[in-house]
Amino acid sequence: MSTAEPVADRLDRFVVMSALLTGFGPVYLLGTGMADGYLRATDAALPAGVLDELLDAFGRLGTGPAGPGGTDLETAAGQAILGDAKLGPVARNVILLWYRGSWTALGEEWRSAYGASPLDTDHLVSAEAYQAGLQWVAAGPHPAPPRQYGYGAWAFPPARRTGRAPGTASVKLPRRSGAPHAPERVP
Amino acid sequence: MTGEDEDYDVVIAGAGVNGALIAKHLTRAGLRVLVLEAGPATALSFDGYWRHPDHCYAATSKGPESTWPPAVGAPRPEVADIRSGTGYIASGGPDKYGNSYPRAQGGPTLHWPGVCLRMLPEDFQLRTRFGVGHDWPLAYADLEPYYRRAEHEIGVAADVADQAHHGIEFPDGYDYPMHRIPLSFSDQVLADTIDGMRVSLGGESFALRVRSNPAWRNSIPRRDGNTSCTPICPIEAKYNAGKTLAQADRGNLRLLAQAVVSKVRVDPASGMVEGIEYQRYADPGSPRHTTGVARGRAYVLAAHAVENARILLASGLGRGDTLIGKGLIDHPALCAWGLSPVPVGAYRGPLSTAGIEDLRGGAFRARHAAFRFDIGNDGWRATTGAPDTSVADAVTRQGLYGTRLRDHLAATLPRHVRFSIAIEQLRSQANTVTIDPRYLDALGNPRPVISYHIDDYTTAGMAAAAEVCAQVFEQAGITDCTDPEAGTWFPSVSRDGRVFRYHGMGHFAGTHVMGRRAWESVVDTDQRSWEHRNLYVVGSGSFPTMGTSSPALTTAALALRTAEQMTVTVGTLIKAF
Repeated sequence: MSTAEPVADRLDRFVVMSALLTGFGPVYLLGTGMADGYLRATDAALPAGVLDELLDAFGRLGTGPAGPGGTDLETAAGQAILGDAKLGPVARNVILLWYRGSWTALGEEWRSAYGASPLDTDHLVSAEAYQAGLQWVAAGPHPAPPRQYGYGAWAFPPARRTGRAPGTASVKLPRRSGAPHAPERVP
Repeated sequence: MTGEDEDYDVVIAGAGVNGALIAKHLTRAGLRVLVLEAGPATALSFDGYWRHPDHCYAATSKGPESTWPPAVGAPRPEVADIRSGTGYIASGGPDKYGNSYPRAQGGPTLHWPGVCLRMLPEDFQLRTRFGVGHDWPLAYADLEPYYRRAEHEIGVAADVADQAHHGIEFPDGYDYPMHRIPLSFSDQVLADTIDGMRVSLGGESFALRVRSNPAWRNSIPRRDGNTSCTPICPIEAKYNAGKTLAQADRGNLRLLAQAVVSKVRVDPASGMVEGIEYQRYADPGSPRHTTGVARGRAYVLAAHAVENARILLASGLGRGDTLIGKGLIDHPALCAWGLSPVPVGAYRGPLSTAGIEDLRGGAFRARHAAFRFDIGNDGWRATTGAPDTSVADAVTRQGLYGTRLRDHLAATLPRHVRFSIAIEQLRSQANTVTIDPRYLDALGNPRPVISYHIDDYTTAGMAAAAEVCAQVFEQAGITDCTDPEAGTWFPSVSRDGRVFRYHGMGHFAGTHVMGRRAWESVVDTDQRSWEHRNLYVVGSGSFPTMGTSSPALTTAALALRTAEQMTVTVGTLIKAF
């Protein structure tokens, strides 16, 4: 296992982390056009340095030794980060941000322990964020409402019974060190 | 008075569907019409319409009123205020009245789902047929030609074959102006499992059927499945009253927005209305305003069932035992939500494309309320705030993330099913809109105080509806997930120890009831005030009963009938003076 090159682009690291958290591929996430805005919204809603701590924690996941049978990154993320008292709530907020387009205020307990930003309030990031919410795509092959997808399309069965939209592959990241973007696996 | 006085043939208060239809026909008949709208203007063309959806998308709450900016001078009931017992409408109890309406040009057509059912012939004869409630002074046959005209004015999409039930008749050769909206996949799955199933109400047996909704469209842009009929259709595929206003003879029409009617002035000697006082505000964020008086030969209050009553009462009209504001009716609705055994493609298409109409009529109405199922295409959005709340539950409570989160949502969201069951309500003197000098708005106008009670007739209907709903869920293999505590706000009402959780449908009616005789009603069959013969009070406030249909189509039919009468009557008034 070679040591990873430091990823210079913070946005790339945010997107790779988001892919792991949301189950949507990095290319899909970049395609929403929301990544930069979400990175800024997350920075603004957190005390200084917290997001970098989270990004660093995710960065370390790809550099450790592979577990027996190759523990996948997603499971590793759960063990190392989602259960962490400080970073877990922040990571969950990033998930909600991508799925719903809105930031959710961290609990009082978290704020008193780790600091509070005045912008840590329940708020929708923008009109576009509402429309770009991953929840609409997860619900079925519907580009987020309100966006048209053709008269009468609602009369047809959802394209796939699993509700997974075409072209948005699973993001089970292969264990490759130093890979800022996991390759998309197109179904 | 600082505003200029103006003279018109007809002054109309309210630019909703009723005011718009009357304004269109009177201006086209050559009459000069002023329309006063309390709320802000909205776009009359698609060019300007585009700015409205963005305002909604950017709002944190996607409530029905989220699209339309509030105005200090024309406050409105907001769903959140009603929950907290504060805000524009003051509650006189005992039951909660959880309803809202916009105050803006276009009225409730700005954010309605657009279902436009005719009332059943038997709805007009409740007293005669079932010994309960009231009869209308009009029969279905009297209104039928106006239903047809309304369906063409508004552009209703439906098939006659679907809508001919419970004695609803259409003349030979009649067809709706637009093809029916395709049934959603969800409707089709439900129809596959329940069409033909029988249920029993008081010994009477009914076969159920999933039936297409007639939908108000009148649109050049086609419905495109944005799943956003409320709070706003982003492509204006759905009718709103602005489309009718745009068809008025604009040379004869003056449309004044941000003009709040404060008082109807009556000449005490003749009883005739001699002017309408209004308050004009330039800035929706401020209570600063100027005042004016609008004068015409005839006047129309088309301001909303609650607002019409409020304005009349604030003007000191109506005697001690007045019927103004008395007899408010609505459709308290039960909600049920569940998980279908198969994906039905929830969260796609118009919010609702079908209903179950079979229990809207029958001999059981002698004992309990009739009811109507609305079948949602919007999953649990209205009842739980999904998908937002489903995502939050999966992430925060279940601890899911990554592919497991996405797979979980993909496996559950497309299976979300929702019914809203509108329950009939009868007129009761206990249900009132009143005013109280303790409750004033920023311009000093009295706010409405609503007292609301759900009686045994309606709760017995709720019990029957809940039973049928359980049978439908079982037949369709739907897992019942109804949980009002976890859902959006549902007040409760009890009957025989059983608690029903309901929500309002915004179908306000009955507040200035129509009748054959002056002593038993506020307006005659032309919606003309008995006491003030140059005043028309129009809208669902005139309904003696509402049955189970949404009031919009019936109110439009009545407005067209009134406009027809007014072109004759006002012409006579012009000659007389």
